[in-house]
Amino acid sequence: MGKKISIDPITRLEGHGKINIFLNDEGGVENCYFQIPELRGFEKFVEGRPAEEVPQIVSRICGV
Amino acid sequence: MGKLKLASFWAAACGGCDVAILDIHEKIVDLSKVADIVFWPIATDFKYKDVEGYEDGYIDVCLFHGAIRNSENEYVAKLLRKKSKVMVAFGSCAMFGGIPGLANFKQRLDILNKVYVESPSTVNPEKVFPQTEYKVPEGELDLPEFYKDVKCLADVVDVDYYMPGCPPAAHQIWAVIQVIASGNLPPKGSVVGAENKSLCDTCKRVKTDRKVKKFVRPYQIKIDPEKCLLEQGLPCMGPVTRAGCGNQCTNANLPCRGCYGPLDGVIDQGAKYISALASVVDADNPEEADKIISQIVDPAGTFYRYGLPGSLLRRAK
Repeated sequence: MGKKISIDPITRLEGHGKINIFLNDEGGVENCYFQIPELRGFEKFVEGRPAEEVPQIVSRICGV
Repeated sequence: MGKLKLASFWAAACGGCDVAILDIHEKIVDLSKVADIVFWPIATDFKYKDVEGYEDGYIDVCLFHGAIRNSENEYVAKLLRKKSKVMVAFGSCAMFGGIPGLANFKQRLDILNKVYVESPSTVNPEKVFPQTEYKVPEGELDLPEFYKDVKCLADVVDVDYYMPGCPPAAHQIWAVIQVIASGNLPPKGSVVGAENKSLCDTCKRVKTDRKVKKFVRPYQIKIDPEKCLLEQGLPCMGPVTRAGCGNQCTNANLPCRGCYGPLDGVIDQGAKYISALASVVDADNPEEADKIISQIVDPAGTFYRYGLPGSLLRRAK
């Protein structure tokens, strides 16, 4: 099993993300995974809200 | 005194608080004269590992935005608490849950189903949800645990100061930074960067003691820019919301949304608002009062728009 390099968090962008890079025994990149560790669930909690509320709520998905 | 060491972090947040800090514009140069940034994911490239390597108390002030939605948010909150002399719950999400706190009206499993199975843009016939641990051919991956409830920062760590707003107003942020730099810190637990009077008290709209016979939605009337919004039948949160934002919504001819939260001594902004409404509804009997109040669409979501996790209710059943 080779080495794992974690870049956590990735920075200078909105939101949370991390990158895991797996190296093989020769030190080359075997595989690379990009993960989004965050979820807030806007898709669900806008349900039941007045329609005119939605633009003001979803503007908080990303304030950047 | 040496330069301050400053950290700013987002948990379950949108980044609007970070942008509000940048909205101090050229004063950011002045900030750099008194403070060094030691962690600020939106603007600088420090990793969690860097923070883990700091001595305890290394950071002078941490501005923590965002609610606590998952185990990573809680881990970083506890890490930053340990490494920081002063912890500020910065913005409505950290203070009382904010917009992400609306998720406490829903159930955890319903949220996951909606996002990962039912949403129109998702193809997931095997109904796979994110796993906290997952084996891939090359090794293991992990993700934070998505909690049942959204929590406030003070639910997981000791908080020194609170600064409300969605986001906090830039002029208030600058004032608070100057106070921090001066070293004249207010008593622990204080709300900073806001006033202890209601938005109503700072609103220049004309109030006439007119009672409300009918509640309306903004698109149903032509809103008079001079008159009290609540008296026009719009459920304005001004009577129960802390002033300090500069009355941005009411100046834009829209009702106060309540983002600065309750005043000192009030733990439940929504309950306080129900009490305020009771005094403005013009009804001769309980049936009529019920009829008028029923015209407010989604009262729970309106009264607890920013503060359900920090309220007495904390979440819907």
